[in-house]
Amino acid sequence: MSMEATELQDLSDDADYAASQQQGSASMMRSDSGKRSLQSEHEDAVLIYLKDNVAIHPTQFASERISGRLKLTKQDSVLFLSWIPYKGQTSNAKLSEKDRSLYTITAVPFTEVRSIRRHTPALGWQYVIVVLSSGLAFPPLYFYNGGVREFLAMVKQHVFLARSSEDQNVFIVNDFQSPLQRTLSSLELPSSLPVASGQSVYPLDGGSSSENQRRTSSDVGNRVSSVSQSGFRKQKSHDPTRDLSIHLLEKFSLVTKFARDTTTQLFSENNGFGSIDKRWNNQPVHSYPEKLSNIAEEKHHEIRHSYSENDLLKDDEISYIDVPADPLEFDKLSLMWGKPRQPPMGHKERRNDISPSIKCRISTEYFTALLDSEGRVVESKALRERVFYGGIEHQLRREVWPFLLGYYAYDSTYAEREYLRSVKRMEYATLKQQWQSISPEQAKRFTKYRERKGLIDKDVVRTDRAFEYYEGDDNLHVNSMRDILLTYSFYNFDLGYCQGMSDYLSPILFVMEDESESFWCFVALMERLGPNFNRDQNGMHTQLFALSKLVELLDSPLHNYFKENDCLNYFFCFRWILIQFKREFEYEKTMQLWEVMWTHYLSEHFHLYVCVAVLKRCRSKIMGEQMDFDTLLKFINELSGHIDLDSTVRDAEALCIEAGENGAASIPPGTPPSLPLDDGTLYPQEDDVL
Amino acid sequence: MSYAYLFKYIIIGDTGVGKSCLLLQFTDKRFQPVHDLTIGVEFGARMITIDNKPIKLQIWDTAGQESFRSITRSYYRGAAGALLVYDITRRETFNHLASWLEDARQHANANMTIMLIGNKCDLAHRRAVSTEEGEQFAKEHGLIFMEASAKTAQNVEEAFIKTAATIYKKIQDGVFDVSNESYGIKVGYGGIPGPSGGRDGSTSQGGGCCG
Ligand SMILES: Nc1nc2c(ncn2[C@@H]2O[C@H](COP(=O)(O)OP(=O)(O)O)[C@@H](O)[C@H]2O)c(=O)[nH]1
Ligand SMILES: [Mg+2]
Repeated sequence: MSMEATELQDLSDDADYAASQQQGSASMMRSDSGKRSLQSEHEDAVLIYLKDNVAIHPTQFASERISGRLKLTKQDSVLFLSWIPYKGQTSNAKLSEKDRSLYTITAVPFTEVRSIRRHTPALGWQYVIVVLSSGLAFPPLYFYNGGVREFLAMVKQHVFLARSSEDQNVFIVNDFQSPLQRTLSSLELPSSLPVASGQSVYPLDGGSSSENQRRTSSDVGNRVSSVSQSGFRKQKSHDPTRDLSIHLLEKFSLVTKFARDTTTQLFSENNGFGSIDKRWNNQPVHSYPEKLSNIAEEKHHEIRHSYSENDLLKDDEISYIDVPADPLEFDKLSLMWGKPRQPPMGHKERRNDISPSIKCRISTEYFTALLDSEGRVVESKALRERVFYGGIEHQLRREVWPFLLGYYAYDSTYAEREYLRSVKRMEYATLKQQWQSISPEQAKRFTKYRERKGLIDKDVVRTDRAFEYYEGDDNLHVNSMRDILLTYSFYNFDLGYCQGMSDYLSPILFVMEDESESFWCFVALMERLGPNFNRDQNGMHTQLFALSKLVELLDSPLHNYFKENDCLNYFFCFRWILIQFKREFEYEKTMQLWEVMWTHYLSEHFHLYVCVAVLKRCRSKIMGEQMDFDTLLKFINELSGHIDLDSTVRDAEALCIEAGENGAASIPPGTPPSLPLDDGTLYPQEDDVL
Repeated sequence: MSYAYLFKYIIIGDTGVGKSCLLLQFTDKRFQPVHDLTIGVEFGARMITIDNKPIKLQIWDTAGQESFRSITRSYYRGAAGALLVYDITRRETFNHLASWLEDARQHANANMTIMLIGNKCDLAHRRAVSTEEGEQFAKEHGLIFMEASAKTAQNVEEAFIKTAATIYKKIQDGVFDVSNESYGIKVGYGGIPGPSGGRDGSTSQGGGCCG
C-alpha cells in the first residue's frame, strides 16, 4: 500500500502524467517507475476543459476539503477525466498528503464511465458524482464556483450522454451495457454526436464490444488482432458522417442482440435465472478471498463483484493503481456476448413434496424428449447447446455424460447402447482379470505393477474423502476407484497411472454409479486428456503454451506483464489445466463446469478461455501489486473456492466468441483435449519406473 | 503480523512420504490422515522465533510424482531452505534421495539449507531404512538430518526450526546478501541484522498464521 501511495503522489502532480497514461498503445505497461510514461509523447493529449476550485470532502465536515483542478483531456478520440489536488493546500492539517493522493483521479477514460449524477441544490454547493462502469463511484466533486451545467454540456459535446429515464439528474455515458430501453433512448441523441468537431467520440477499435454476434468470425478475429497489436487505433483523418453511421450501426446491432436475448428470456421458463436486468442490477457475488484484498484492491474497480454499489458509494477512500487498460474492456464484454445461464437441463421447480424418484423421472423424461423413438439423439448440437448454457440436472448426468465423453455415439439407438454396455462390461471384467490374476510370486518380479498399485492404493485414499460418497474406512466406492485406475493402467499400460487421474475419476464414478460404465467413461475422457498425464508433460506444456497465446491475443498488456516478470511458463495455471479446475470449485460446481466444457460447443478448448477469464478478472490486482512468479502462484492457488462459476463461464464464452478464429488459430493442432493425431504410439514412454 | 525475516521453504521428496502431513503438523499442530493428495503446490505459513526475532516461514509443499518434476523444479527458485523427506518404511523413497538432491542442487541457490527428514518414525516396526543410513547419507551430502513423525509430531517442530536457525546463522555469518531475494529471504521491517530488534507483535512460537 505504502508503495502505491507514494507512486501516485510522485506522479499525480505532473499535469501531463495523467494524459500520458493513456498513450495510444493499449499495450503500454504500468508506470512502475514513472519513467516510461513520462517519456511518452505529450503532445497527443488535448486539453478540452479545465475547472479550478473543484473539491472533495473526505469527511462530513465541510471545513475539511481538498481542493483541486478538474480537467477533461482528449487523446486519440478518447475523453479523459482527471482531478488533481493542489499541492500542499489542504484546508485542514488532519488531511495528510496521503489523503490527497488517495483521491487523485488520474485520467479515467470515459469509456469506463457509466454515469454522472449531478446535484444542483438551490442552496449549497453543486456537485457531481462520477460512477464507473464497474459500479465504483468517485467521491462527490464539489464545484465551489458553480459550473456543473457547463461541465456536463462540455462532456456532452464529446461523448454520448443520455439522461436516465428514471432520474432526471443522472446522465448515462456511452450507454452500451445497459438494458434495452436505455440503449434505445440514447439512439435519440444524435445531437450529442460531435459531428461539428469532426472527431470520433470513442475508439472504434477499442473493444466497445458493440458488434453483432452474427458477425463473421474472421471479422471478429481481425478486429481482435488489431486491438492486440495497436490498442486504440489512431484516427488521423475523420469522416464525421462515417463515424456517425458507424455509431448508429453499432447501436442498432446492439439493439438486435439485446432484443434477441430479451425475447429468449421472455420465452424461456420463468425460473428466476438471471435476466439481463437482473444481472446488471444484482451483480453475482464474485467474492475473491477476503484476506487477499488490501486497501488498494478494495478500491479498485475490478473487485466490483464483491461489493454492492452502496458499499462502494459509502467508500471514501478511492485510489487507483495505474494498470494498463484492458484492450477488450472486459467488463462490458461478458454482457455483450455471454448469454445468461439457464437452469440445468432437466430442471423442474423444486418442490419439497416431490420425492426424489419422481424428480428423477421428470428429468429422464426431459432427456427422452430429445431422442427419437429408437433412442438416437436427434440433434446433438442442440443437446450440446442446451448443456453448454445451463449444465445438467444431477439425476440426468448418468444419461448424458457418456454421450458428452464420447463413450456413447449420439446416433446410437437404445438397443445398440444396451448391447454396448454388455459387451463393454465383459471387456472390463477381462481387463480387470489381468491384474487380479497376478500372484504374489509374480508380483515380486513385476516392479512396475507393484509400484503402480502402491501409488494407486495411496492415492485413492487421498481423493475426495471429505465428500460423502467416498467417506469412511473401507468405503466400497474407494475400492471401485482403485480397481478402475489399476485396470486402466493395464488397459493403457504406456500411460499408466499419474496423479490427478483420481480427481477425474471421482465425479465420474459418483455420477455413473457403476464400475464398468465409469471405467469406459474414464477411458473416453483419457482419449482426450491422457496427454495431461504423459511422463514428459508435453500435453500440459502445449496447453500452457496455447494459454499464453490466448492471453497474448485477448489481453496483450497482461501478456507483456507476464513476459517481463518471468511468468510466461504459466505454471501458475498448472493445476487449473491438469484437472480442469477440480480443485478450484466445490464438487457440484466442478461437475457443472466439466459438462459445460465437455460439450465442446464453442470450442474444444473452452477450458483455456475459462483460464483467461479468471486471469482477466484478476488482472489489475496482478499487475497493480506487481506480483512476481511466487506471489502470483500463491495468489492463484488461493483463488480456490472463491471463483464464481456462472459469471466465469459467461466471461469465458464472451472471450471465446470475441477471439473467434484468431483464438482457434492460437491453439496449436493436437492441443489436448483435441483427439490426438493417430500415429500408432499414443504415449511414448521412456523406459523407466512408473 | 510483522517479521524480521521471511524464509521460503520447499518440501520435496517422493509422493506419499508424508510431506503434506509434516506441513500440517507444523502449521496446525494436527495429524490429518485423510486429506487430498497434492497437485502442483500448496502453501503453508507460520511464525517462529529465533534469537528473539520473529521469523515467518512460507512453506511450499510440492507434488512428488516423477511426472511433475519439471514443474516442481520451477518452485526451487528463491528457496532458502528445503526439507527433503523420505519414508523410513519404504526403501525406494530413500533410494530416490540422490536424484532429488541433484534437482535441488541444480535448480536452487547454492546456499540453500537442506534438512533431510526420515518420516514416519512412529512405524519403527516397519522400518526399512536404519537411522544410521540416514545419518550417513546426510553426512556425505552435507545435510542436516532428523527422523520425525508427522503423526506423533515427534521432531516436526524441531526440523523446521533447526532449518530456520541454520539459515539465520548463515545470515549472521554474512553468507547471504539478504537484500537479494533470490536467496529466499525477505527482510521485514526493522529486521536489518543487528542486536535485538524488539518490536510489536507476538514473538512467541506457534500459532497458525497463514498468508
Ligand atoms: N504412520 C504415519 N503415517 C504418516 C505419517 N505422515 C504421513 N503419513 C501417512 O502417509 C500418507 C501420505 O501422506 P502425505 O502427507 O499425503 O504425503 P505426501 O504425498 O508426501 O504429501 C497419508 O495417508 C498419511 O496418513 C507419519 O508420520 N506416520
Ligand atoms: Mg502432499
